[in-house]
Amino acid sequence: MVKNKKHMTLDETGNRLPFSVPENYFEEFALKIESQTIPATVSLRKMIKPWLYLAAMFVGIIVIGKTFYSVHSNNVAKNSENYELYVVSQVDESLVYDNYVNDESMPVTPVNGVKTSN
Amino acid sequence: MAEQEEDLTILLNDPHKRSIVFSKVVRTYQERLYWHIRKMVLSHEDTNDVLQNTFMKAWNALDNFRGDSQVSTWLYRIATNETLTFLSSKRMKMVSGIDEIEDTLLRNLHSDPYFNGNEVELKLQKAILTLPEKQRLVFNMKYFDDITYDEMEAILGTTTGALKASYHHAVKKIEKYFEGEE
Repeated sequence: MVKNKKHMTLDETGNRLPFSVPENYFEEFALKIESQTIPATVSLRKMIKPWLYLAAMFVGIIVIGKTFYSVHSNNVAKNSENYELYVVSQVDESLVYDNYVNDESMPVTPVNGVKTSN
Repeated sequence: MAEQEEDLTILLNDPHKRSIVFSKVVRTYQERLYWHIRKMVLSHEDTNDVLQNTFMKAWNALDNFRGDSQVSTWLYRIATNETLTFLSSKRMKMVSGIDEIEDTLLRNLHSDPYFNGNEVELKLQKAILTLPEKQRLVFNMKYFDDITYDEMEAILGTTTGALKASYHHAVKKIEKYFEGEE
């Protein structure tokens, strides 16, 4: 029996793959996988970042606190100085003299050993 | 090549070099695995998804890779499993529909901008789609990539004798399909 050789055979079709891929597909694919599998170096930076923010915040709080404290201390010192000046300005010199010299409770220096009183 | 594979296995087990070496592995094997998957799922978009899953599965399973097989064989095995899983999940989704998965794959092939085959090549793809999944896998690996039966045995876990028989049946079926088409 003679076989009818009219039909197509695998030898005729060839083994070329009739498919293509988008331009730069493999380069982009490799980069995509790398972005998911090389997180170590990136994550190290990412891990440190919040700690850096926290440290900066801490330093900021200390600096602000110190500034406020020194302003407050200056104000207290200034206030007490002002108060003293105010008190002194309010007191008459003769009044102070009277108060000290004519004070009854003050002992009078004895003359010739005899204690005198006013 | 075998020496390179051995070096790769050692380096992949080093936690400090692992990610850099894995990038090299991706760049070395991505094209071969892409075409291995593409011949089964046909569409570029689906192939891209399956290939990504393949490499991510491999990355997550690196701790279990002890170098009992070559890196390429191991990757081919993962890619094959991912491909078959993808096809069976697609089949499950279509279980209530009228179309068979092969009809859908063929229809997608017609509209695929990344299919550039002529009439004869399209007919061959149609013929291949008439084969059972495992036979299709064997036929594609042998016919398009000329992978040796020993390598195929390591990848598919099927004996060389069974693979040869499977390929032979596939060729017969395809030629019969051609006869019927004319």
